[in-house]
Amino acid sequence: MGGRETRLPDESKAVDFDRTFIPHMDAAYNLARWLVRDDHDAQDVVQDAYLRAFRFAAGFRGGDPRAWILAIVRNTAFTWLKRNRGPDSPTEFDEKLHGGVGEESGLEADAVRKADGAMIRAALDELTDEFREVILMRDIEGLSYKEIADVAEVPIGTVMSRLARARGKLARLLQHQIAQERIPKER
Amino acid sequence: MNCDDARVLMHGQLDGELDLAADLEVQRHIDECPRCASEYAAMRAMRARLKDEAFRFEAPAALKERIRRAIPASPPSQAGAYPSRRGRWVPRAIRFAVPMAIGAMLALIVAPRTIGPGLNQRLASEVVASHVRSLMASHLMDVASTDQHTVKPWFNGKLDFSPPVNDFAKDGFPLVGGRLDYIDGRQVAALVYQHGKHVINVFMWPTAGDTTSAEKIETEHGYNVDQLTVAGMNCWVVSDLNQQELDRFARLIRAKG
Repeated sequence: MGGRETRLPDESKAVDFDRTFIPHMDAAYNLARWLVRDDHDAQDVVQDAYLRAFRFAAGFRGGDPRAWILAIVRNTAFTWLKRNRGPDSPTEFDEKLHGGVGEESGLEADAVRKADGAMIRAALDELTDEFREVILMRDIEGLSYKEIADVAEVPIGTVMSRLARARGKLARLLQHQIAQERIPKER
Repeated sequence: MNCDDARVLMHGQLDGELDLAADLEVQRHIDECPRCASEYAAMRAMRARLKDEAFRFEAPAALKERIRRAIPASPPSQAGAYPSRRGRWVPRAIRFAVPMAIGAMLALIVAPRTIGPGLNQRLASEVVASHVRSLMASHLMDVASTDQHTVKPWFNGKLDFSPPVNDFAKDGFPLVGGRLDYIDGRQVAALVYQHGKHVINVFMWPTAGDTTSAEKIETEHGYNVDQLTVAGMNCWVVSDLNQQELDRFARLIRAKG
């Protein structure tokens, strides 16, 4: 009989897990997919993250479930990247190293508008993981600065400055790409 | 404000993350500095381009299914934080087949104790569970059709009522199909609509008594639920769509009813 009493809260937690975190699986996959850049690997990361989240679900104290699951997905993805693509990816991200904001060339909105989807995708792939993820979370996934700060474990001010650098870098990559295309190819 | 500050703060401004004073200061700098104005325009364009749904990868259905299966079956943690997850008493045959049905049942048991005995709250839990189940179990539709004249007759003979079936494609909510579902201890009609990448389930069954149209919006763990009464039908609308859009959709349904 004692077993019955302890069983109910555990089962109710399972119900909660389903309804709280399953709805955010698209967001989880999207983040993982952009970070590890491979469908199969991203699926592994998301599955691993969900199983971890399930084990830690008792530690979820309310708040935004999407930010909570994304933080776990992000950690899982970075662990995965370190293990599988180790030497290539810098372990510590240097805010100063990766491009200043007040960069040389001026920007024009036209270049950005002319870029097609494939171009934007390629440019996103060229960004460092930290730049790509902040753009992904803000512009594609629609998270607030506060939520991004929670997921990436950085101050809100860092979210804004990193986003500024990331968008600037992305726009400049596109502008550069567009300019290249204007030059007729040599034969 | 100097250009370096403006180049950072303009992003907070574009994202609506600044307080009014900072917002105005950024605006003033942009109005006065052509270089920053050009940067600002480019960043605004950049943001707009990235909003495109095409850049969003959607989780493959197989992955969702795999995770749904893996979670109830996963071993409990060593510390015994989850002693015996359902394996002990749920027959093996239905263990994977209807995990969400169990969820719905448990919602019935647990809801009155934790969130009060409200009938609507219980039904909201049920429709959300049904909605999730429909997405997880690859059983979104029994009849897949964008034609209301195909979907409506399909329900004939399967239900003891005829649900109103309308297509709202011109308003951005195309009908994609229908299926039978089970809510509140009875068979109900489930109509499936789409809005962008979002799936909307509309559950309908005849009301018991009063036919006044009482709209109510609730949020259940990331899903939004609208409840309304249309043409004598109890009508529950559920989706992961944002509340405003779902509300708009609910108004379309009501207008037709």
